[in-house]
Amino acid sequence: MPDTVVKARQQIRELLVDVFGGPSFVDGVHDAVSLREAGLPSTALVALLVAMEDAFGFEWDDDVPPEALRSIESLAGHVAALRD
Amino acid sequence: MSADAAQDEYYHDLSYREDAPRVRTRADIELYCESTGDGVAITTLNNFFFTAPFWRDYTGELAKHYRVVSYDLCNHGHSTRLEQEPTWEEHATDLIGLLDGLEIDSTYLLASSASTQLARDVALAYPDRVRGLVLAGPVLGPQGMRRHRMLQRSWVRTLNDHGVPILFSHMYPEFVSTQMNEDYGSAGFLGLRESFLAMSTPEELINGLTLAQQGDSNPALLTRIQMPTLITLGDDDILLSPTAGHELAALFPNGRCEIMPKAGHVPFLDDPEGFQELVRKFIDEAEANA
Repeated sequence: MPDTVVKARQQIRELLVDVFGGPSFVDGVHDAVSLREAGLPSTALVALLVAMEDAFGFEWDDDVPPEALRSIESLAGHVAALRD
Repeated sequence: MSADAAQDEYYHDLSYREDAPRVRTRADIELYCESTGDGVAITTLNNFFFTAPFWRDYTGELAKHYRVVSYDLCNHGHSTRLEQEPTWEEHATDLIGLLDGLEIDSTYLLASSASTQLARDVALAYPDRVRGLVLAGPVLGPQGMRRHRMLQRSWVRTLNDHGVPILFSHMYPEFVSTQMNEDYGSAGFLGLRESFLAMSTPEELINGLTLAQQGDSNPALLTRIQMPTLITLGDDDILLSPTAGHELAALFPNGRCEIMPKAGHVPFLDDPEGFQELVRKFIDEAEANA
C-alpha cells in the first residue's frame, strides 16, 4: 500500500477522533467498513469532510460519488488520487 | 468553517429510538412514533424525504412547551411496509389512528412541502381533531398545484433514469436557499446527500413522489378550513413566491403568512430557531383565542 494512503488513513482516523471528541467511535471501525453502517451519524460526516479540506489542503467537489465517502479506506483513496 | 462549527451546524442524529412505541392504526399497520414534551400536541407530517428522527433538531424548542409527536408514515421509515403505497385517505386514517393510540384529542399539524397536502386533507376530513395548521413551504398554491406537480414528475424521471444521488443533485439547488448553498459549500452538500441517502430508499421516494402528484388540487378546498393556519415561507423558496404565499394564506378563513428572510423551500433548515419562534407565537395566540 502506498505510503500516502497509509498516512491519509491515519490522519482521517485522527480527524474522526476530533469530530467525536474521543476515540470511542473510530477505534471500533475497520478501514474498509461503511462509516454509515458503523453508526456515523450521516451529517456528522460533514464535520469530517470540512476537517479533511483543512488537513489535506483541497476542496471537495460536488461531483464526488457517494462511494468515495463510504469508508476511511475510500476517503483516503480519494485524497491519494488527488495527490497523484 | 471550522470542523467544530461544522459539527454544530450540520450534526443530525437520525438514529431510531429502540424504545419508541409502534402504534397500531389499522389492521396489520403499525407506525413508528416519537413523543416528546407535554401539553398541547403538535404532530409533524413527513414529506417523503424526511424520517421521524429528522424532526428532532427542528422541534427541540417547541418540545419545551408542547407535546411534539413525530412518526413515520406507513410504508416509510420504520413503520409497516406494504406492497402498495397507501392513498392520501389511508395516510389520513393512519394519523387519526395514531392520535387515538396516543390518546390525543386534537393536535396542531406541522407539515412541510408535500405533506402540506396531507395536512389539508386531514383538516378537511377530521376538523375536530385538528387545532391548527403550520404549513412550511407548502405545495398548495393560490391558483393550483400544477407547478409543484410538474417538478415532482421531473424528480421521478431523474430518479428512474439516474438514481438517488443524482436526484439529490437535481433537487438540492431547488429546495436549498442561495444563502445555505453558499454557506454549506461542497462539504455540506455531500454530507447532506449522505443524510438523504440514509433516510430514503428509491422505492420510498418513487412511492411518495408518485402519491404527491395525486389528490385534489383545487385551491377552493382551502376556503373550507376553519382552524387557524400559519404558512411559513422562505422568501428564497423558488416554488412559491412571497406574493403567492400571502394570496394562499388569504384563501384560509383564518390564515396568515410569515415570510422567513433568505430561507428556501424548507425554511426551518435555514433558521430552526426563528421557525420555532414563529410556530410558538402562532400556537400561543391560537390557544388564547380558542
